Amino acid sequence: MITKTWKMIFTLLLRLLALTATLAATLVMVTAHDSTEVMNFTFKAKYSYEPAFKYFVVAEAIASGYSLIVLFLSSKNSFSRLVMILDMVVAMLLISSVSAAMAVAYVGKKGNIHAGWLPICGEVAKFCNQATGALISGFLAAIMYLLLLIYSLHDTAYWMS
Amino acid sequence: MAAQDGGKSEVGVNSSPALKPKDWVLLSLRLVALFATAAATIVMALNKQTNTVVVATVGNTPVKVAVTAKFQQTPAFVFFVVANGMASFHNWLMIVVELFGHKIDYKGLRLAIIAILDMMTVALASAGDGAATFMAEVGKNGNSHARWNKICDKFHAYCDRGSGALIASFIGLLILLIINVMSISKLLKPKHTYIGVP
Repeated sequence: MITKTWKMIFTLLLRLLALTATLAATLVMVTAHDSTEVMNFTFKAKYSYEPAFKYFVVAEAIASGYSLIVLFLSSKNSFSRLVMILDMVVAMLLISSVSAAMAVAYVGKKGNIHAGWLPICGEVAKFCNQATGALISGFLAAIMYLLLLIYSLHDTAYWMS
Repeated sequence: MAAQDGGKSEVGVNSSPALKPKDWVLLSLRLVALFATAAATIVMALNKQTNTVVVATVGNTPVKVAVTAKFQQTPAFVFFVVANGMASFHNWLMIVVELFGHKIDYKGLRLAIIAILDMMTVALASAGDGAATFMAEVGKNGNSHARWNKICDKFHAYCDRGSGALIASFIGLLILLIINVMSISKLLKPKHTYIGVP
Protein backbone atom coordinates (compact mmCIF):
# COMPACT_ATOMS: atom_id res chain seq x y z
CA MET A 1 0.00 0.00 0.00
CA ILE A 2 1.40 3.38 -0.97
CA THR A 3 1.67 5.61 2.06
CA LYS A 4 1.46 9.35 2.12
CA THR A 5 5.24 9.82 2.23
CA TRP A 6 5.72 7.76 -0.93
CA LYS A 7 3.16 9.91 -2.70
CA MET A 8 4.93 13.06 -1.56
CA ILE A 9 8.30 11.69 -2.65
CA PHE A 10 6.92 10.78 -6.07
CA THR A 11 5.42 14.24 -6.57
CA LEU A 12 8.63 15.87 -5.37
CA LEU A 13 10.65 13.75 -7.77
CA LEU A 14 8.43 14.72 -10.69
CA ARG A 15 8.74 18.39 -9.80
CA LEU A 16 12.51 18.12 -9.51
CA LEU A 17 12.73 16.45 -12.91
CA ALA A 18 10.49 19.13 -14.39
CA LEU A 19 12.70 21.82 -12.87
CA THR A 20 15.85 20.31 -14.37
CA ALA A 21 14.20 19.87 -17.75
CA THR A 22 12.86 23.44 -17.95
CA LEU A 23 16.14 24.90 -16.74
CA ALA A 24 18.09 22.84 -19.27
CA ALA A 25 15.74 23.86 -22.07
CA THR A 26 16.09 27.56 -21.24
CA LEU A 27 19.86 27.52 -20.94
CA VAL A 28 20.51 25.38 -24.01
CA MET A 29 18.25 27.49 -26.21
CA VAL A 30 19.70 30.77 -24.97
CA THR A 31 23.28 29.68 -25.62
CA ALA A 32 22.54 28.31 -29.08
CA HIS A 33 24.11 30.40 -31.80
CA ASP A 34 26.00 29.86 -35.00
CA SER A 35 27.16 31.90 -37.95
CA THR A 36 28.47 31.01 -41.37
CA GLU A 37 29.66 32.93 -44.38
CA VAL A 38 27.54 32.16 -47.39
CA MET A 39 28.30 33.94 -50.62
CA ASN A 40 29.46 37.26 -49.19
CA PHE A 41 26.99 37.67 -46.37
CA THR A 42 27.15 36.28 -42.87
CA PHE A 43 24.33 33.96 -41.96
CA LYS A 44 23.76 34.21 -38.22
CA ALA A 45 21.35 32.21 -36.13
CA LYS A 46 20.30 33.00 -32.58
CA TYR A 47 17.20 32.22 -30.58
CA SER A 48 16.20 35.88 -30.50
CA TYR A 49 15.85 36.05 -34.26
CA GLU A 50 12.63 34.05 -34.14
CA PRO A 51 9.60 34.98 -31.99
CA ALA A 52 8.64 31.33 -31.47
CA PHE A 53 12.02 30.59 -29.87
CA LYS A 54 11.78 33.74 -27.74
CA TYR A 55 8.38 32.58 -26.51
CA PHE A 56 9.91 29.15 -25.83
CA VAL A 57 12.71 30.63 -23.71
CA VAL A 58 10.34 32.90 -21.78
CA ALA A 59 7.85 30.09 -21.12
CA GLU A 60 10.52 27.66 -19.96
CA ALA A 61 12.06 30.32 -17.71
CA ILE A 62 8.69 31.06 -16.11
CA ALA A 63 8.06 27.34 -15.66
CA SER A 64 11.46 26.75 -14.02
CA GLY A 65 10.94 29.69 -11.64
CA TYR A 66 7.50 28.36 -10.75
CA SER A 67 8.86 24.82 -10.24
CA LEU A 68 11.53 26.14 -7.92
CA ILE A 69 9.02 28.07 -5.81
CA VAL A 70 6.55 25.18 -5.58
CA LEU A 71 9.31 22.72 -4.62
CA PHE A 72 9.77 24.67 -1.42
CA LEU A 73 6.13 24.80 -0.44
CA SER A 74 4.84 21.42 -1.52
CA SER A 75 4.13 20.24 2.00
CA LYS A 76 1.49 22.84 2.87
CA ASN A 77 -2.02 21.61 2.22
CA SER A 78 -3.82 24.95 2.17
CA PHE A 79 -2.32 25.88 -1.18
CA SER A 80 -3.00 22.57 -2.86
CA ARG A 81 -5.94 23.71 -4.96
CA LEU A 82 -4.12 26.86 -6.09
CA VAL A 83 -1.02 24.82 -6.88
CA MET A 84 -3.04 22.39 -8.97
CA ILE A 85 -4.62 25.18 -10.99
CA LEU A 86 -1.30 26.95 -11.46
CA ASP A 87 0.24 23.61 -12.45
CA MET A 88 -2.34 23.36 -15.18
CA VAL A 89 -1.70 26.88 -16.44
CA VAL A 90 2.05 26.29 -16.49
CA ALA A 91 1.58 22.93 -18.23
CA MET A 92 -0.51 24.66 -20.89
CA LEU A 93 2.18 27.32 -21.31
CA LEU A 94 4.89 24.70 -21.65
CA ILE A 95 2.98 22.62 -24.14
CA SER A 96 2.10 25.55 -26.36
CA SER A 97 5.67 26.90 -26.32
CA VAL A 98 7.18 23.52 -27.22
CA SER A 99 4.62 23.10 -29.97
CA ALA A 100 5.27 26.57 -31.40
CA ALA A 101 9.04 26.14 -31.33
CA MET A 102 8.74 22.72 -32.93
CA ALA A 103 6.55 24.09 -35.73
CA VAL A 104 9.12 26.73 -36.63
CA ALA A 105 12.03 24.33 -36.15
CA TYR A 106 10.36 21.97 -38.62
CA VAL A 107 10.34 24.72 -41.22
CA GLY A 108 13.95 25.46 -40.39
CA LYS A 109 14.92 21.86 -40.93
CA LYS A 110 12.78 20.85 -43.89
CA GLY A 111 11.78 24.20 -45.35
CA ASN A 112 8.39 24.95 -46.83
CA ILE A 113 8.50 24.61 -50.57
CA HIS A 114 5.09 26.17 -51.14
CA ALA A 115 6.00 29.38 -49.37
CA GLY A 116 9.47 29.47 -50.83
CA TRP A 117 11.16 29.08 -47.44
CA LEU A 118 14.47 27.27 -47.61
CA PRO A 119 15.74 25.15 -44.74
CA ILE A 120 18.52 26.73 -42.73
CA CYS A 121 19.86 23.71 -40.88
CA GLY A 122 22.34 23.00 -43.62
CA GLU A 123 24.08 26.31 -43.00
CA VAL A 124 23.83 26.67 -39.22
CA ALA A 125 24.03 23.07 -38.09
CA LYS A 126 25.39 23.87 -34.60
CA PHE A 127 22.41 26.11 -33.83
CA CYS A 128 20.01 23.48 -35.15
CA ASN A 129 21.49 20.73 -32.99
CA GLN A 130 21.40 22.80 -29.83
CA ALA A 131 17.87 23.96 -30.57
CA THR A 132 16.84 20.32 -31.07
CA GLY A 133 18.32 19.46 -27.68
CA ALA A 134 16.47 22.33 -26.04
CA LEU A 135 13.22 21.24 -27.70
CA ILE A 136 13.62 17.65 -26.48
CA SER A 137 14.22 18.92 -22.97
CA GLY A 138 11.17 21.18 -23.20
CA PHE A 139 9.06 18.31 -24.45
CA LEU A 140 10.17 16.15 -21.50
CA ALA A 141 9.34 19.00 -19.13
CA ALA A 142 5.83 19.25 -20.59
CA ILE A 143 5.38 15.48 -20.14
CA MET A 144 6.57 15.74 -16.53
CA TYR A 145 4.01 18.44 -15.82
CA LEU A 146 1.23 16.43 -17.43
CA LEU A 147 2.20 13.37 -15.39
CA LEU A 148 2.22 15.53 -12.27
CA LEU A 149 -1.26 16.86 -13.00
CA ILE A 150 -2.73 13.45 -13.79
CA TYR A 151 -1.11 11.95 -10.71
CA SER A 152 -2.44 14.68 -8.41
CA LEU A 153 -5.90 14.33 -9.93
CA HIS A 154 -5.87 10.56 -9.63
CA ASP A 155 -4.56 10.83 -6.10
CA THR A 156 -7.35 13.20 -5.06
CA ALA A 157 -10.02 11.20 -6.86
CA TYR A 158 -8.86 7.92 -5.36
CA TRP A 159 -9.00 9.41 -1.94
CA MET A 160 -12.46 10.82 -2.55
CA SER A 161 -14.19 7.78 -4.01
CA MET B 1 -27.27 13.91 3.53
CA ALA B 2 -26.03 10.37 3.69
CA ALA B 3 -29.36 9.27 5.19
CA GLN B 4 -31.42 10.66 2.27
CA ASP B 5 -30.60 7.82 -0.04
CA GLY B 6 -31.22 5.27 2.63
CA GLY B 7 -27.55 4.87 3.44
CA LYS B 8 -26.45 4.39 -0.16
CA SER B 9 -23.60 6.71 -1.01
CA GLU B 10 -24.03 9.21 -3.82
CA VAL B 11 -20.99 8.21 -5.75
CA GLY B 12 -22.47 5.07 -7.26
CA VAL B 13 -25.46 5.86 -9.44
CA ASN B 14 -26.75 9.39 -9.75
CA SER B 15 -30.44 8.98 -9.09
CA SER B 16 -31.60 12.56 -9.70
CA PRO B 17 -31.77 13.45 -13.39
CA ALA B 18 -32.46 17.15 -12.88
CA LEU B 19 -29.54 19.53 -13.50
CA LYS B 20 -28.70 22.11 -10.91
CA PRO B 21 -28.11 25.77 -11.94
CA LYS B 22 -24.35 25.38 -11.67
CA ASP B 23 -24.54 22.50 -14.13
CA TRP B 24 -26.35 24.77 -16.57
CA VAL B 25 -23.45 27.24 -16.40
CA LEU B 26 -20.97 24.45 -17.14
CA LEU B 27 -23.17 23.10 -19.91
CA SER B 28 -23.54 26.47 -21.63
CA LEU B 29 -19.80 27.06 -21.36
CA ARG B 30 -19.20 23.71 -23.02
CA LEU B 31 -21.64 24.65 -25.76
CA VAL B 32 -19.79 27.90 -26.44
CA ALA B 33 -16.49 26.04 -26.44
CA LEU B 34 -17.96 23.53 -28.89
CA PHE B 35 -19.01 26.31 -31.24
CA ALA B 36 -15.64 28.06 -30.97
CA THR B 37 -13.50 24.98 -31.63
CA ALA B 38 -15.83 23.72 -34.37
CA ALA B 39 -15.70 27.13 -36.05
CA ALA B 40 -11.91 27.15 -35.84
CA THR B 41 -11.69 23.67 -37.35
CA ILE B 42 -14.08 24.39 -40.20
CA VAL B 43 -12.70 27.81 -41.11
CA MET B 44 -9.13 26.55 -41.20
CA ALA B 45 -10.06 23.36 -43.04
CA LEU B 46 -11.74 25.35 -45.79
CA ASN B 47 -8.93 27.88 -45.95
CA LYS B 48 -7.66 28.08 -49.50
CA GLN B 49 -6.74 30.86 -51.86
CA THR B 50 -5.59 30.79 -55.44
CA ASN B 51 -3.73 33.65 -57.08
CA THR B 52 -2.90 33.85 -60.74
CA VAL B 53 0.54 35.27 -61.29
CA VAL B 54 1.84 36.49 -64.61
CA VAL B 55 5.16 34.76 -65.01
CA ALA B 56 6.22 35.79 -68.52
CA THR B 57 4.87 37.35 -71.65
CA VAL B 58 5.07 35.36 -74.86
CA GLY B 59 4.42 37.75 -77.69
CA ASN B 60 1.19 39.44 -76.69
CA THR B 61 -0.29 36.82 -74.37
CA PRO B 62 0.82 36.74 -70.76
CA VAL B 63 1.66 33.34 -69.29
CA LYS B 64 -0.27 32.89 -66.07
CA VAL B 65 0.49 30.43 -63.34
CA ALA B 66 -1.98 29.62 -60.58
CA VAL B 67 -0.39 29.68 -57.15
CA THR B 68 -2.47 28.19 -54.36
CA ALA B 69 -2.17 28.61 -50.62
CA LYS B 70 -3.84 25.78 -48.71
CA PHE B 71 -3.76 24.84 -45.08
CA GLN B 72 -2.36 21.39 -45.92
CA GLN B 73 0.91 22.97 -47.01
CA THR B 74 1.83 23.80 -43.44
CA PRO B 75 2.07 20.86 -40.99
CA ALA B 76 1.31 23.20 -38.09
CA PHE B 77 -2.06 24.11 -39.61
CA VAL B 78 -2.87 20.45 -40.24
CA PHE B 79 -2.14 19.78 -36.57
CA PHE B 80 -4.29 22.81 -35.69
CA VAL B 81 -7.25 21.40 -37.62
CA VAL B 82 -6.83 17.95 -36.07
CA ALA B 83 -6.42 19.32 -32.53
CA ASN B 84 -9.44 21.59 -32.75
CA GLY B 85 -11.47 18.81 -34.35
CA MET B 86 -10.67 16.53 -31.44
CA ALA B 87 -11.45 19.32 -28.98
CA SER B 88 -14.85 19.83 -30.62
CA PHE B 89 -15.51 16.09 -30.42
CA HIS B 90 -14.57 16.11 -26.75
CA ASN B 91 -16.87 19.07 -26.04
CA TRP B 92 -19.74 17.41 -27.88
CA LEU B 93 -19.15 14.14 -26.02
CA MET B 94 -19.09 15.91 -22.65
CA ILE B 95 -22.36 17.70 -23.45
CA VAL B 96 -23.99 14.41 -24.44
CA VAL B 97 -22.71 12.69 -21.30
CA GLU B 98 -23.94 15.57 -19.17
CA LEU B 99 -27.40 15.53 -20.70
CA PHE B 100 -28.03 11.85 -21.30
CA GLY B 101 -25.46 9.89 -19.37
CA HIS B 102 -26.90 9.82 -15.89
CA LYS B 103 -27.78 6.13 -15.91
CA ILE B 104 -24.25 4.88 -16.52
CA ASP B 105 -22.39 3.63 -13.47
CA TYR B 106 -18.98 5.25 -13.36
CA LYS B 107 -17.95 3.56 -10.14
CA GLY B 108 -17.37 6.90 -8.47
CA LEU B 109 -14.75 8.05 -10.93
CA ARG B 110 -17.02 10.23 -13.05
CA LEU B 111 -15.58 13.56 -11.95
CA ALA B 112 -12.03 12.28 -12.19
CA ILE B 113 -12.50 10.93 -15.72
CA ILE B 114 -14.11 14.18 -16.84
CA ALA B 115 -11.35 16.25 -15.27
CA ILE B 116 -8.57 14.16 -16.81
CA LEU B 117 -10.19 14.18 -20.25
CA ASP B 118 -10.70 17.94 -19.99
CA MET B 119 -7.05 18.36 -19.13
CA MET B 120 -5.91 16.28 -22.08
CA THR B 121 -8.10 18.32 -24.41
CA VAL B 122 -6.71 21.57 -23.01
CA ALA B 123 -3.20 20.23 -23.62
CA LEU B 124 -4.01 19.22 -27.21
CA ALA B 125 -5.81 22.45 -28.03
CA SER B 126 -3.05 24.62 -26.56
CA ALA B 127 -0.42 22.73 -28.57
CA GLY B 128 -2.39 23.23 -31.78
CA ASP B 129 -2.94 26.90 -31.05
CA GLY B 130 0.67 27.58 -30.19
CA ALA B 131 2.02 25.95 -33.32
CA ALA B 132 -0.48 27.63 -35.63
CA THR B 133 -0.03 31.08 -34.05
CA PHE B 134 3.68 31.19 -34.56
CA MET B 135 3.53 29.72 -38.05
CA ALA B 136 0.99 32.41 -38.92
CA GLU B 137 3.35 34.99 -37.40
CA VAL B 138 6.17 33.81 -39.67
CA GLY B 139 3.79 33.96 -42.63
CA LYS B 140 2.72 37.46 -41.72
CA ASN B 141 6.06 39.02 -40.90
CA GLY B 142 8.52 36.69 -42.55
CA ASN B 143 11.93 36.19 -41.02
CA SER B 144 14.64 38.37 -42.45
CA HIS B 145 17.43 36.43 -40.75
CA ALA B 146 16.41 33.14 -42.29
CA ARG B 147 15.52 34.79 -45.60
CA TRP B 148 11.89 33.70 -45.36
CA ASN B 149 9.56 36.06 -47.18
CA LYS B 150 6.17 36.94 -45.82
CA ILE B 151 3.24 35.54 -47.73
CA CYS B 152 0.38 37.58 -46.29
CA ASP B 153 0.86 40.46 -48.68
CA LYS B 154 0.04 38.17 -51.60
CA PHE B 155 -2.64 36.02 -49.98
CA HIS B 156 -4.78 38.46 -48.00
CA ALA B 157 -7.92 36.33 -47.78
CA TYR B 158 -5.98 33.22 -46.73
CA CYS B 159 -4.29 35.12 -43.91
CA ASP B 160 -7.53 36.79 -42.81
CA ARG B 161 -9.41 33.52 -42.62
CA GLY B 162 -6.48 31.94 -40.81
CA SER B 163 -6.48 34.73 -38.24
CA GLY B 164 -10.22 34.29 -37.78
CA ALA B 165 -9.78 30.57 -37.14
CA LEU B 166 -6.96 31.32 -34.68
CA ILE B 167 -9.06 33.83 -32.75
CA ALA B 168 -11.96 31.36 -32.54
CA SER B 169 -9.63 28.67 -31.24
CA PHE B 170 -8.17 31.05 -28.63
CA ILE B 171 -11.67 31.73 -27.35
CA GLY B 172 -12.34 27.99 -27.31
CA LEU B 173 -9.09 27.34 -25.43
CA LEU B 174 -9.84 30.00 -22.83
CA ILE B 175 -13.30 28.60 -22.21
CA LEU B 176 -11.89 25.05 -22.09
CA LEU B 177 -9.43 26.24 -19.46
CA ILE B 178 -12.25 27.75 -17.38
CA ILE B 179 -14.27 24.54 -17.74
CA ASN B 180 -11.26 22.50 -16.67
CA VAL B 181 -10.69 24.66 -13.60
CA MET B 182 -14.36 24.25 -12.72
CA SER B 183 -14.17 20.47 -13.17
CA ILE B 184 -11.07 20.27 -10.99
CA SER B 185 -12.60 22.41 -8.26
CA LYS B 186 -15.71 20.22 -8.37
CA LEU B 187 -13.37 17.29 -7.88
CA LEU B 188 -11.46 18.83 -5.00
CA LYS B 189 -14.46 20.18 -3.13
CA PRO B 190 -15.80 17.63 -0.67
CA LYS B 191 -19.33 17.57 -2.08
CA HIS B 192 -20.14 14.07 -0.99
CA THR B 193 -20.37 13.12 2.64
CA TYR B 194 -18.48 10.01 3.48
CA ILE B 195 -19.44 7.75 6.29
CA GLY B 196 -16.64 7.65 8.78
CA VAL B 197 -14.22 9.86 6.87
CA PRO B 198 -13.56 13.32 8.39
